[in-house]
Amino acid sequence: MVAAFPVECQGERHVHPNADVLQGTLDLLILKAVSLEPMHGWGISQRIQQISRGVLEVNQGSLYPAVHRLVKRGWLDATWGTSENNRRARFYRLTAVGKKQLVEETATWRRFSGAVEDILATS
Amino acid sequence: MAFRTGIVQRVRSFLGREADNNLSDEVRMHLEMEAAQLEKHGFSRHAARLEAQRRFGGVDRYTEELRDVRGGRAWDSALQDARYALRVARRFPAFTAIVILTLGIAIGANTAIFSVVDTVLLRPLPFPHGEQLVLLYGQNPDKSLPRFSVSYADYLDWRAQTRSFTDIAAYASSSIIFAGDDEPQRLSGMNVTNNFFDVLTAHPRFGRLFHTTDLSSDTDNAIVLTYGFWKRQFGGDSTIVGRPLTLGSASRTVIGVLPEDFDLVGQPLDAIVVLSPNGIPGFQSHGQHTLSVVGRLRPGVSLSAAQQDLAAVAAHVAEAHPDIAGWSANVFFLRDELVRGIRSPLFVLLAAAGLVLLIGCINVANLLLTRSALREREVALRQALGASRARLIGQLLIESAELAVGGALLGLVIAKFTLGAILRVAPAGLLPDTAGLDLRVLVFAVMITVLTTVVAGLWPALSATSPRLARSLREGGRSSSGGMRALQARRSLVVAETSLALVLLICAGLVVQSLRHMLAVDPGFRAEHVATIRVTLAPPRYNDTTQVQFFRDLQSRLEGRGGIESVAAANSAPIAGGGIVTNIRLMGMPATPGQKLMGAVTGVTPGYFRTMTMHMLQGHDVAWSDATPGLLVSEAAARQYWPGQSALGKRIAFGPRDTIGLEVLGVVGDTHSRGLSVDAPPMIYASYSAITNLARTMSIVVRGRGDVASILATTKQAVHEIDRTLPLYNSQSVSSLVDQSVGQSRLNTTLLAFFAAVAAVLALIGIYGVVSYSVTQRTQEIGVRMALGARQGDVLRLILREGATLAAVGVVIGVAGAFAATPLIRSWLFGIERTDPATIVGTAASLVVVALAASYLPARRASHVDPLIAMRGD
Repeated sequence: MVAAFPVECQGERHVHPNADVLQGTLDLLILKAVSLEPMHGWGISQRIQQISRGVLEVNQGSLYPAVHRLVKRGWLDATWGTSENNRRARFYRLTAVGKKQLVEETATWRRFSGAVEDILATS
Repeated sequence: MAFRTGIVQRVRSFLGREADNNLSDEVRMHLEMEAAQLEKHGFSRHAARLEAQRRFGGVDRYTEELRDVRGGRAWDSALQDARYALRVARRFPAFTAIVILTLGIAIGANTAIFSVVDTVLLRPLPFPHGEQLVLLYGQNPDKSLPRFSVSYADYLDWRAQTRSFTDIAAYASSSIIFAGDDEPQRLSGMNVTNNFFDVLTAHPRFGRLFHTTDLSSDTDNAIVLTYGFWKRQFGGDSTIVGRPLTLGSASRTVIGVLPEDFDLVGQPLDAIVVLSPNGIPGFQSHGQHTLSVVGRLRPGVSLSAAQQDLAAVAAHVAEAHPDIAGWSANVFFLRDELVRGIRSPLFVLLAAAGLVLLIGCINVANLLLTRSALREREVALRQALGASRARLIGQLLIESAELAVGGALLGLVIAKFTLGAILRVAPAGLLPDTAGLDLRVLVFAVMITVLTTVVAGLWPALSATSPRLARSLREGGRSSSGGMRALQARRSLVVAETSLALVLLICAGLVVQSLRHMLAVDPGFRAEHVATIRVTLAPPRYNDTTQVQFFRDLQSRLEGRGGIESVAAANSAPIAGGGIVTNIRLMGMPATPGQKLMGAVTGVTPGYFRTMTMHMLQGHDVAWSDATPGLLVSEAAARQYWPGQSALGKRIAFGPRDTIGLEVLGVVGDTHSRGLSVDAPPMIYASYSAITNLARTMSIVVRGRGDVASILATTKQAVHEIDRTLPLYNSQSVSSLVDQSVGQSRLNTTLLAFFAAVAAVLALIGIYGVVSYSVTQRTQEIGVRMALGARQGDVLRLILREGATLAAVGVVIGVAGAFAATPLIRSWLFGIERTDPATIVGTAASLVVVALAASYLPARRASHVDPLIAMRGD
């Protein structure tokens, strides 16, 4: 679902073999990206890319289904607006339920990754 | 919130188009932004766009996934399945045709019968709160006649003293002579009390109706027309209100026209007037029972409470008037009374139609099972490729649904024809002619179509998609253990439908024989070449003397003319029932204290028995020259009233003041005057001159050599020679009267026999199908047998035995079922026991024999199997 490769490489493709992210974390990333400010789908994918300094790049084909799933669950709100290039675009915003969900999922992720860290730390 | 958004989205995706536009906008925006950024990084504009699309990774797949998430999928896939199902249907044209035909007949039959049931039994009466309307009857002291007419004096007393009714009104049918355009017409009329329409809460279409508050001065010269008569006679002229009509001797003004759906007694009606008590013979006497009474229950009063109230009042009235001592009264719902004779036969027919539908569904299920065996590979492949079981079952059900809808459409056409035929063949007045394919009936048709789809399609769908089938892909052959399991299932289905068919066949067999017995009954008179026609001789034009004179004139004028052999008259037409029932006293016989004898009296003119070819067993007929009126009695009457003695010379008195009575001059043979299936009742025939005041309307009977039409024409001519103003009506041959008396039985029997025949044919098709399938499944086995030495004859017998066994098991179950089912048709049987062994054995044996015939073709196919090819198993 998510592939990672350095964005500076032009016209070439490098696939980092170990950057598969677990399912469900895409939702988490989207929620986090939107929590900073409401934005449209392309913006979400850009932000995830930027903040992770290029390590994470979202497979665009799975972005929108994930976003729509979140809207269906009521964690995101969608409204139509105009984008920077003067096109009609849907802007997504975190709902109250979504905020709560973000906090929960973050806590879960931290617990999980912490446990993995602990295991790897033992030698 | 999620729910609402979900709904909105679902509706949007249901609507499809708008949502797709939204998708494209969003995607387009995304691609443009991505392309713009790539350009910034040095891609050329064209390359940037391509790269952006490539990275996005397939818009189509994305839109597919999106649709899945949004859930508008079900509708799309249903449409897709429906189109696919049509293609499948075209791939198997014979199969589709047989299924649609089977379902068409079954659904059509059910719809037709339901339409009649709906009109007769389910639809409310054409009056507001019709369920409160009741009919009140008198009951004679020995309770043998619980639905007797009511006297005017009783009616007045009941109206004053009962408390359970908002009001009660009296009515009686009458003949109204209408001057008409050229010939005088006899109208079917009704005399009613002035509160009649208020009790019914009827409203006029035009003008006004009679009201409780009307005085006789308002109503004496008024007349209300029915819609049918108004349309027929006046062509729907809306200026009819206020117009005078010349009737008989007087003239009345039309004050209103009734609405089209007005119907109380189910008989044709032309006009209604208010009855004048003076017009009722003996109107002050409680003993002259001539009226019918309709009432409306007070809200909240139950029928049993009203019954108690009425019985108490009637008893009170009877105590005060010795001439009706011991008489009581009954009250019944109008609704129930109207459908008494027809309710149970309709339900039996509905059940029979339902059985036919069930058998049809079983056949269709079997056919579907066969076809799904042929498509095993296709279904298994789709499952292997990832189609969910639910989706496949849905698709198969949609196939069944399409077949059912096809069958339903054909069924509606069949229903329309069947209904038309039923209405044409039914005796007049039995069924309302408003029965048709209206909305309620269509809803019923839709419901049974859905039911059919589920019943016929569900099991094949489930078994076709069961997980075991995946194995068939690997096995690569068509015979698998699944096939044998399916064979067992189909065998049990066929046994079930054979037993159901046998139940119907046995019932039909019993009923058909009953009808034959009924038609073979000697009615007691000869009906061929006899015509009857009714005539009313009313005051003031006719009095007692001139009434008798009229018939004497007619007889002398008509006999010998134009092939006419014999002419006479009686106050009720032969076999039509009706007539006068009155208290009689057998003079000279010790009267049983407290017991009042009632006898059926028919007034006859001399020559009646000769005209009807009834046997004169003792004595002689009445004659014009008799000084005093005389009587004849039927054999049954003679036996009942004077057992062991000769009836000649005995005397019978009518009415409490009659001390002399009339003398019995002769004894005639019995006639089945109440119907062929009813035992001949004791009859008293009195000289017409004795009852002229009770029998103003008489049936003229004429026997002649020619055909009935010419006999009637000659009769009408002769009548009009005597009196031009007399209208004649209800002219028909006596044979058709006899036919009509069994009309309902004949209709019921025909329908039941038709259903049984259809069921039997379907069951046989089912047996053929299963045996055929079994041969296919057992081809290898047969090959082995033949290789081991079995000859063609042995194989033939083997398969025939299979067919016979199926039929035999079905027959045994069916006989048991028939024992359970035949009590329902007990009232249809005549001259035959419901457990008649000849019928049961006969139908069972014929079914087995025909099943053998049906199994012959597959058996022959089996016996011609080449063992080598069979054993190779491909």
